[in-house]
Amino acid sequence: MAFEKYITEHERRTARALAMGGKERLEKQAALGRLNARQRIDYLFDPGSFIEIGRFARGEPRGDWDKTPADGKVTGYGRINGREAAVVSHDITVKSASSSPVNVRKMGHVRRTAIANGVPLVLLNESSGARIPDTMGAIGTGTLGQDPTQFIRMREIPYVAAVLGPAFGTACWFTQLSDFVVMRKDAQLAISSPKVTEIAIRQKIDPMELSGWRMQTEVTGKVDYGVDTDEEALDLLKSFLSYLPSHHNELPPRAAVPAGADEPAQALLELVPEDRAKVYDMRKVAAALCDPGSLFALKDRFAKAAFTALGRIDGRAVGILGSNPMFKAGALDADACDKACTFFVLCDSFNIPIVILADTPGFLIGVEGERRKAPGKVINMMSALQMCTVPKFSIVMRKSYGQAYLNMGGTRNTDEMLAWYCADVGFMDPNVGVNVVYGVKREEDPQRFEQLVEEIRRDSSAYDLAGIFSAVAVIDPRESRRWLARLLELHQRRLTKGIGKHLLSGWPTTF
Amino acid sequence: MARETIKAEITGNVWKIVAQVDQDLAEQETILIMESMKMEVPVLAPVKGRLKELLVKEGQDVSEGQDLAILET
Repeated sequence: MAFEKYITEHERRTARALAMGGKERLEKQAALGRLNARQRIDYLFDPGSFIEIGRFARGEPRGDWDKTPADGKVTGYGRINGREAAVVSHDITVKSASSSPVNVRKMGHVRRTAIANGVPLVLLNESSGARIPDTMGAIGTGTLGQDPTQFIRMREIPYVAAVLGPAFGTACWFTQLSDFVVMRKDAQLAISSPKVTEIAIRQKIDPMELSGWRMQTEVTGKVDYGVDTDEEALDLLKSFLSYLPSHHNELPPRAAVPAGADEPAQALLELVPEDRAKVYDMRKVAAALCDPGSLFALKDRFAKAAFTALGRIDGRAVGILGSNPMFKAGALDADACDKACTFFVLCDSFNIPIVILADTPGFLIGVEGERRKAPGKVINMMSALQMCTVPKFSIVMRKSYGQAYLNMGGTRNTDEMLAWYCADVGFMDPNVGVNVVYGVKREEDPQRFEQLVEEIRRDSSAYDLAGIFSAVAVIDPRESRRWLARLLELHQRRLTKGIGKHLLSGWPTTF
Repeated sequence: MARETIKAEITGNVWKIVAQVDQDLAEQETILIMESMKMEVPVLAPVKGRLKELLVKEGQDVSEGQDLAILET
């Protein structure tokens, strides 16, 4: 047969690459209930759509050539529900998927190709960090950093990451650069492993506290979801990408509208208590406004006084930010401002219109807030909102006070501000305002207190807001979805085909 | 079994205690309700678990970060 020796040799090398770190290590990975790097790619991409690049790459030291198939990071391109994407899948069975000059070169090539061609980058992270001894010494360390664009994030394309095992070093850095992150509950995400950290700082480390999913979803807010299985993680990445365009010069895909989509909004009067002292869950309101089943929460366990999500209204992708009275009474704190900023950056970068639902007593003030730089965070959020060039809409629901009223899209800080007929707007809650302005406490002089509350409350209604044309309309809550659907239809930025200016695209990726 | 301390997310007053010691709680189930910012703010179980201890009483003022209850998870 012609080319027989080449065919035989090619088949041998291919089989070696596909065998990854060998039977024993693959079995160990399976015993942990985890998919291996190639199974993850198979699950992620449409059948038969994956093309691998760098399959025959291997570690640079001659002694590693046969021990480092694909050099521990499987890279290439495939399709997710018919749409192209690029992938880096760390193979923990090959030298713990540690980062070496060769596999970092592979990652760089895939990343640059994804950006140049406008397709999302999917990072399946499981790596021990830098490869030792390859990166030791001046020669090892000095060989790194060959790509001066490696950590530039201009959000031309979405980056999404799944943390599926230990993720230290480069796997951690690219997780930080990502727009959306999911993490297995038994995975770890940190600068260095607990073992290295313990040695370095001579302190006993609790791995979960250093690098666990609750730390990352509740305290740092870097991770959007903690999950039990690889399949759940990969499904969430696919769901997230379904709301986004493939790149920043494209509109998000439009989905079909399920039957009966207008019905849940009719129940809004039951979901929101008339009494402003009573709380409710803003997530339920957002779900009622969106097409059924389309609400997709972001960072749901972090800074819960602010709720952020993607969703669809009449099949169009929207980003929803709501203050959530269920947590901290909906008073926005420093973390909530950070969360809102990140959310604005995402929406602005990928041409997703923003809907803001305001029901807030204001910003959470106090020593802790000042310590955490709350004033700077409030203004970051405000700047980010004003810099967004995507369509922006807001609804003042029951109340919105002070600077928080502006941060939540008050007056011209959104393109169209609607007010529910029960909305109350002022410099602060009237009950607090009486004490602040007049020094009168309810328990000392109830009659005078009530009189003054009424005085402060005067001119604070939705109709007063509409009277000076700050609210463009006063509406029945049940009309909210219909209004938003019409506004989305109108505000399509036709002169630029719906593509925004992306003024926030270079905003830092973490906070 | 891990013990998790539930802390006040906001300064306020303990208005009503809803759950009882040794009660099994689902994630997001209400433990107590605080009065803060002129609103009734629930304190929820962050994860599933059993309420082992209540560290505050109704009517008590609490500060942000103060321990409220202990959950065994």
